[in-house]
Amino acid sequence: MIPSAPKTIWSAKVNGQDVQAIAPSNAILLDVLRDEVGMLGVKRGCDLGTCGCCTVLIDGEPRLSCLCLAGQVEGQEITTVEGLAQGAHLAPIQTCFATHGGSQCGFCTPGFLMSAEALLNENEQPSRDEIACAIEGNLCRCTGYQQIVDSIEAAAEIKRGDAPAPTPASDPHPNPHPEGPDEPSMPPGHAR
Amino acid sequence: MNHRCHLVMQGDLMAGGYRQQPGASSAETRKDGKRVAGKQKFPPPGSGGSRPVMAPRDLDSIPESVGGKEPQPAGSHIHDRYRTGTEVGKPRALVDSHAKVTGQAWYGDDVRLPNEIIGKILRSPHHYAKIKSIDTSKVEALPGVLAVATGADAPNTFGVLPVTKDEHAMAVEKVRHVGDLVACVAAVDEATAMEALNLFEIEWEVLEPVFDPRKGLEDQDEPIHWRGKYHVGTTNVQKRVFQEFGDRSLVDDPTASSHGKWRMEGVHHGFTEPHAVVAHWDPNGRLQLYTPQQVPHYAHRALSTVLEVPMHQINVIRTFVGGGFGGKSDPFPHEMCAAILSRKAGRPVRINFTREEVYWINRGRHPSYIEVKMTADEEARISGFDIDALIDGGGFASFGHVTSYYNGVLATAPYELGSFHYTGARVWTNKPASGAMRGHGAVNTRCAVEVGLDEMAEQMQVDPIDLRLANLLPPHSRTISGFRITSNGMREALERVREGSDWDSKFRQMPLGKGIGIGCGFFISGSGLPIHWDPNRFPHATVHMQIDMDGGVTVHTGAADIGQGSTTAVAQVVSEVLALPIEMIHVRSHESDTSPVDLGSYSSRVTFMNANAAIRAALDIREKLLNAAWEMLGYHPDVLVLNDRRIYYKHDPAVGVSYLEALHKAQEDKGSLISSGAYRSPPMGGVHKGAAAGLAPAYSFSAYVAEVDVDVETGLVACTNVWAAHDCGKALNPLAVEGQIIGSCHMGLGQVLSEKMVYGRTGHLQNPNLLEYKIPSIHEMPHVTPIIVESSDPEGPFGAKEAGEGPLLPILPAVVNAVYDAIGVRIRDLPLTPDVVWKAITAKCKALDGIDETELPSPRLVHSPLQPTLVARGQEHKERDRKRQRSEDTSAYVNGVLFGFDPDRPLEDQVEGWKSAVEPVPEQLAELGLAGKAWLKKEQRQMGGDQ
Amino acid sequence: MMLMPPFNLHHPTSVDEACELAATFLANGESFDWVAGGTDLLPNYKWHINVKTHVISLAKIAGLDTISMHEIGAMARLGAITSSAEVHPLIASAASKVASSLIRNNATLGGNICLDTRCFWFNQSEDWRRSIDWCHKEDCGTGSDCRVIPNQNTLCVATYQGDLAPSLMVLEGTLHIIGPNGPRSLPVEDFFQLDGITRNVLENGEFVLKVTFPEGVENRTGSYKKLRVRESWDFPEAGVAASWIEGDSASLRIASTALESIPRSHQEQIDALGIDFSAEQIPSLSEAIMKSIKPVNNTALPPRYRRSMVRVLAKRSLRAILGDE
Repeated sequence: MIPSAPKTIWSAKVNGQDVQAIAPSNAILLDVLRDEVGMLGVKRGCDLGTCGCCTVLIDGEPRLSCLCLAGQVEGQEITTVEGLAQGAHLAPIQTCFATHGGSQCGFCTPGFLMSAEALLNENEQPSRDEIACAIEGNLCRCTGYQQIVDSIEAAAEIKRGDAPAPTPASDPHPNPHPEGPDEPSMPPGHAR
Repeated sequence: MNHRCHLVMQGDLMAGGYRQQPGASSAETRKDGKRVAGKQKFPPPGSGGSRPVMAPRDLDSIPESVGGKEPQPAGSHIHDRYRTGTEVGKPRALVDSHAKVTGQAWYGDDVRLPNEIIGKILRSPHHYAKIKSIDTSKVEALPGVLAVATGADAPNTFGVLPVTKDEHAMAVEKVRHVGDLVACVAAVDEATAMEALNLFEIEWEVLEPVFDPRKGLEDQDEPIHWRGKYHVGTTNVQKRVFQEFGDRSLVDDPTASSHGKWRMEGVHHGFTEPHAVVAHWDPNGRLQLYTPQQVPHYAHRALSTVLEVPMHQINVIRTFVGGGFGGKSDPFPHEMCAAILSRKAGRPVRINFTREEVYWINRGRHPSYIEVKMTADEEARISGFDIDALIDGGGFASFGHVTSYYNGVLATAPYELGSFHYTGARVWTNKPASGAMRGHGAVNTRCAVEVGLDEMAEQMQVDPIDLRLANLLPPHSRTISGFRITSNGMREALERVREGSDWDSKFRQMPLGKGIGIGCGFFISGSGLPIHWDPNRFPHATVHMQIDMDGGVTVHTGAADIGQGSTTAVAQVVSEVLALPIEMIHVRSHESDTSPVDLGSYSSRVTFMNANAAIRAALDIREKLLNAAWEMLGYHPDVLVLNDRRIYYKHDPAVGVSYLEALHKAQEDKGSLISSGAYRSPPMGGVHKGAAAGLAPAYSFSAYVAEVDVDVETGLVACTNVWAAHDCGKALNPLAVEGQIIGSCHMGLGQVLSEKMVYGRTGHLQNPNLLEYKIPSIHEMPHVTPIIVESSDPEGPFGAKEAGEGPLLPILPAVVNAVYDAIGVRIRDLPLTPDVVWKAITAKCKALDGIDETELPSPRLVHSPLQPTLVARGQEHKERDRKRQRSEDTSAYVNGVLFGFDPDRPLEDQVEGWKSAVEPVPEQLAELGLAGKAWLKKEQRQMGGDQ
Repeated sequence: MMLMPPFNLHHPTSVDEACELAATFLANGESFDWVAGGTDLLPNYKWHINVKTHVISLAKIAGLDTISMHEIGAMARLGAITSSAEVHPLIASAASKVASSLIRNNATLGGNICLDTRCFWFNQSEDWRRSIDWCHKEDCGTGSDCRVIPNQNTLCVATYQGDLAPSLMVLEGTLHIIGPNGPRSLPVEDFFQLDGITRNVLENGEFVLKVTFPEGVENRTGSYKKLRVRESWDFPEAGVAASWIEGDSASLRIASTALESIPRSHQEQIDALGIDFSAEQIPSLSEAIMKSIKPVNNTALPPRYRRSMVRVLAKRSLRAILGDE
């Protein structure tokens, strides 16, 4: 076997949890997060800093984990896409990406979510231009970005309380025995 | 809640039946609004929920033809009576979107199996070389290496098309491009595997490579592949096509003509997820292969061939696919490698590509030389298209056989043509293979054709939109090559972008540097010819459905969701037919073990074919449920209504049963309800050679207007606004359709402005990374106004057609035409990188006596007398189209009627010169274009060689 | 994954400790690199280019990230510079044009100044470079020829594509360097040294500490024009910065980047003008600047075009500092 760089114990706070991992001293943060910590939501798209799929928050700031030596962020607070939701409750930015078409194939989505979350934490009412600048380092091949910007705008509205958190389109646990209509809703001569 | 008793009801309340208990009356309702326990007939454990009453019928989403309020400008549809107002036409988040936004969606590289090892591929450092020997002894001796494989381990060929199987898992005799697969290893970790790659000892015999496709037309000492008796001379021509239809004499003495020679660079799909595969031979000796595939079934077939294992012993598991666009539709050699390594090592093997490897396996859009000549007659009718396309196939055939046809045949609509002439050739070169990419084969010629039309419009001094509107094929017609056009929303698309963009007050009226342009598109909605090439016996798509006691619907389909939302579309149509909330529909589409054969996500077939199959399966279930309700209620299914989890009597909604009651009744003595639905396209098209290429059960149409800003000093082009109208038949999910339209604009904009595969002086791909392969960032994105046109296709699921690929086509010509409007220079080299535009501007300035760039004259338009004629013809045709679309006029219409021919008699009988040829006659050979030169060579069998 | 060859990462917490580490490695004959943000070094390492046994990170040294009008620390992140109200607007504007917002959150001023030169024959993976039999800049001991201009084996013509250097030059910045042999400082323009391999005057063991600007820099008006295909990610294909103190022709400074192996100051062309700077001089000055540079074919856009664009960029930046945009 080929010797790797000497292994060290790497520790940080990942999504609020103290985490320790054994990794080579020259390890890249992305590799540690994926392979050692198990945060597979952090995606590897280009490995060279262009696609932004690997974006994570380091002390609240969006950074490219593929161009970050794990050793340089030792002990810092790291948030990945897995840390966005509060338990089972999705963050507004997550819901809005779903409801506004911000995510198609979904591979770039974790990166966009992190960039957007960082923006919204700083700026409650970003303009479309400000949103564009915040996500200029993320590459999306599916959406053409427009619905991503829509999603972020919608999430900003929810975050500052201007819009209610979206309710699911229909009841997620529908009663299998619905009663009849609760008000007259019959059209004259409707579907055969 | 309790006003039911006040309902005005029609009909006999008690007729034949059972009257449902009113249920929640005030006496039985608890103070907190919840119902008293024990009143439900089938208390489902743990269920409940916050919506105890049925949702009202959404009349806005029920077509007019069946009593709802949804307008149907294009007429009624056979599926109308299955509409329940539940899902179709409503903007819907993708059903798997929560997995994606939480990071739980599992893509290729996210599959981690216990005890897995890492595979790495050794790639060729040579463009073209014979492998004289490979010594793997040092590799095998390296501690930590668990398996080594070379081409000798898998000599069987495969390929995506049955007629062109020319790939090996690893090079067997020779390598065909830098990056071609030579061997592979599996080791305990990445570092060991990488080190192992350095230990292969290979003896090469380097051969003379070919990079220029024009050179590929010439005879070679050592052609890249050998096709035996079908080989064209000793050239590198992989496929040549000749097609000629119509009356060629019409092109003589044209009123206007355009002749453009185009050079289009290759482009790559640029999906964000690099390829990754995990292979695992389970303890039962079955192969479990995890791969992000658009077309798992093809991979399945190829694996079976290469590994010599029956298909039923292979389970192809499609992971989430991080973008496909055609780039994940071939069976890939690395998939074979992982399987071979895993079989040898007895452990799961994972292979992840780096971004550079993604470019080595390429199969993106063909670099092309395209020449288009077109003419118009004195009435501004398009008398002829003459297209010549030489496309650079790279090292392998891939989808190229089809691409060779598509470059021509997909230009035969939406316009009525006097004649059509196409020569195409695809040649092998020593570069990564080209193949299918969004808008497969149609994109480049479409751009050339649309720009040619713009040029002819200018010569005739007419508005290019009016020129188009006066030359469109109507709905329910046939193209010159025999394609059957059904629904056709082209005219509406053009009218709506004209209005939306305020075209009439901008075109040819803006200052220097600002321009506006139009482009149209036409694309197949599902290839009529499936991979098994037996469409008359096997369906294109099959869907299985199952409902057990809990009432949830499990749908099994092989359709591959690559982010376009095919799973959502299937769930939506099932939900619509059964009137169940979409959360009750569970689509299982990942495993070949459980899903019926589906041909996968290519040629924009999934919505059309798979959703049709799903509707059929759902109808079967629907019938069973209604029959059960009939038995319970005494009302015939014809007078029963399906609505949100309840089936009731049409004239008295209070008379009914819940969905679950009906279901359980239907399940008596049978157990879970199962059904199967399939879709097969109808027989269509002509009988000439190649007639099947481009055949589709329906076609999509689109028209875009683009606005650009050109910096005349730097040549930088910025696209600022796009009005994008696409006819998708019926938007099952408008949110997704708009997403496809905007996303297509982005991808097309990349091709027209910045993306190219750069093969330098030495033939090496110089930009195999996302920094130098320039996909537009958010700052390059214009504001796109998506406009959905619904022409309601008679055979589409609820009228739907494709929306995934067609929307890409028009953006290229729209931008090129807009650039002309801005600076008065026609550029036919794509992409329009700033240096290309600047060079063209400089040349133009020089030609105008060395004026300054800022003094360039902007093109202006003064209408000729032809203009009112065209407008009048367009108006006349609009009425014609409306009648045909609504089936008020059901007469036959074939391409040629515009030129005065009778659609009811064969055209050959009416015009002496009308022909339909698929091979050139000898006297034509001399005048064929660049690709046409491929016809100068004879096939080996004609020369008596290689019998 | 693009696995990097093994190396040891060191985290000194003070400048002295860093210099000591460097001195030790020098004494032991062990090779090492400095890393700041890593956005330039790590891609090269992932491509297995010039990988050293040791890498010394400057990230844990406190106090190197000052951002003010007169001093910017080497470890100041470009993202912080972009959004800073303290820094000279020209620097903020130039920094805002570097790559993407995400890269700027990692990248530092020092890293941008010391950016390795770039070339499409060079910035490729090991396999790729093996397939062209390597190149002069990274010949892997083979003595390979330059692939850009074959048949010359003396000079590396890889292009310097840093965005900030010309702005630092036209603001008359001074670079402060430190190493085992103590500190030294020099004008930014003297920092760069031909050729594409040598790049700059840093001797073994030295690293950039900070850039300072003279008193009165706040009175300078500046403009940086960058040519690139995309408004995000892309390195400059050409870049011109200009600055002056309004009304003072003698204060006019112009510098260009991304055209040759080092950024260039264009004092010579300004001096040749010999008269007061005004709008009328812009065309001839721009023309002279264009003529003074000779780009080669190793970036995304062709050299002839890039050269012509120097005139346009110079014209535009000069117009901008005259307040006429």
